[in-house]
Amino acid sequence: MTHQLDRYAAEARFRAVFSHLGAVAAYARRRGMRDADAIAAEVMTIAWRRLADVPADDPRPWLYATARNLVLAEARRSSRAIAAESDRAEEVTPEPEVLELDPLLGSALRSLSRLDREALLLVAWEDLTPSQAARSLGINPAAFRVRLLRARRRLRAKLDEASSGRRRDPKTHLDMETT
Amino acid sequence: MTTESIMFRLRRANPVPQAPAGDQADLFARIISSPGDPRLAGRVRQRPLGNRRRALVVAFALGVAALLASTAFAVSHWITGDVVRPPVTKREYRDAQAQLTLPPGVTWPQFHITEPNSVTSRGGGGARAVGIAQNAWECYWVRAINRGDSAAEQRAYDQLKGLLANNVIVAPIGAPEGWTPLPLPKHPISVWAHDGGLNYVRDMYARAAAGDSHDLAQSCRVNAP
Repeated sequence: MTHQLDRYAAEARFRAVFSHLGAVAAYARRRGMRDADAIAAEVMTIAWRRLADVPADDPRPWLYATARNLVLAEARRSSRAIAAESDRAEEVTPEPEVLELDPLLGSALRSLSRLDREALLLVAWEDLTPSQAARSLGINPAAFRVRLLRARRRLRAKLDEASSGRRRDPKTHLDMETT
Repeated sequence: MTTESIMFRLRRANPVPQAPAGDQADLFARIISSPGDPRLAGRVRQRPLGNRRRALVVAFALGVAALLASTAFAVSHWITGDVVRPPVTKREYRDAQAQLTLPPGVTWPQFHITEPNSVTSRGGGGARAVGIAQNAWECYWVRAINRGDSAAEQRAYDQLKGLLANNVIVAPIGAPEGWTPLPLPKHPISVWAHDGGLNYVRDMYARAAAGDSHDLAQSCRVNAP
């Protein structure tokens, strides 16, 4: 009987986690995943199997972190497949695409480091607070706030630069910032 | 343009402004029919219970304790727990490798135990090896399906059926976390909770053999060591 009680309690707890399925699917779709629903289903399967690791009070940062890992793994797989098809010897840098945006904004976002971009999008699109986003990225909240501020400034600079027609090699700047 | 307006512009450009809603009862049911997190059983038991329920739980625990205390060995097992240090667990893992088969081209990963003072249930090293072999054959099966190699598919299915039949034991209903059968078998075993997980996995393999490999592919990815 105790076992049944455990089971019911676990299911009740998981039901609360599962209520974020749509948010996780939206996250994957915003990161350019064609099969966002499958990613979300996989995230929930992992959450069920590791329910003890999922914070009961606020599961979203954990769910997004898991989704991010799956999105990156999917991007790596796609990159390898593309490289194999085109018979290229060099490794293709895995980089999940941000879903199609206005070209200026999309290009400016892509020029940021992955961590900077994710910091911005977790707050702007996933509507996380800086503390939640910091948990999702596994960094401390103070460091996250600094990163977010710098990421905003970099994005603004990129947009200003693009709109004023000035051309600079984005790599020169990014290589120093990439983490 | 200020940094605040940057955030406003980003928010406005959100390509999926609303999270999709829909009835996902089937998915929920499918997920919870699979084995859950075994660590949760202990924690949930720590929750406060109503008096009547608590009395029932205590009575049940006393019954189990009386049963265990019926032999001196059981008493010592109950008090100290049959747990071992990392060197024993690693030796179990190595020994198990000689008794289990991995798919062609797959090698046994290193078993890192970072905490030297940690303890593991006896047989834990063998259980880990069973889990690794199971996942390796699942992934081998998925690759075989992808390249259309029916002989390799059949081989993987046979190996996995053998693993479930010979190397997986289901704990009795109400057994505590870390339960191991006594005496411990000489071959490596993995102990699964009595929660329908074994039937779910059997069904998953049967579905994959019948052409529906979605859950198999997911299991391959999710359970990779």
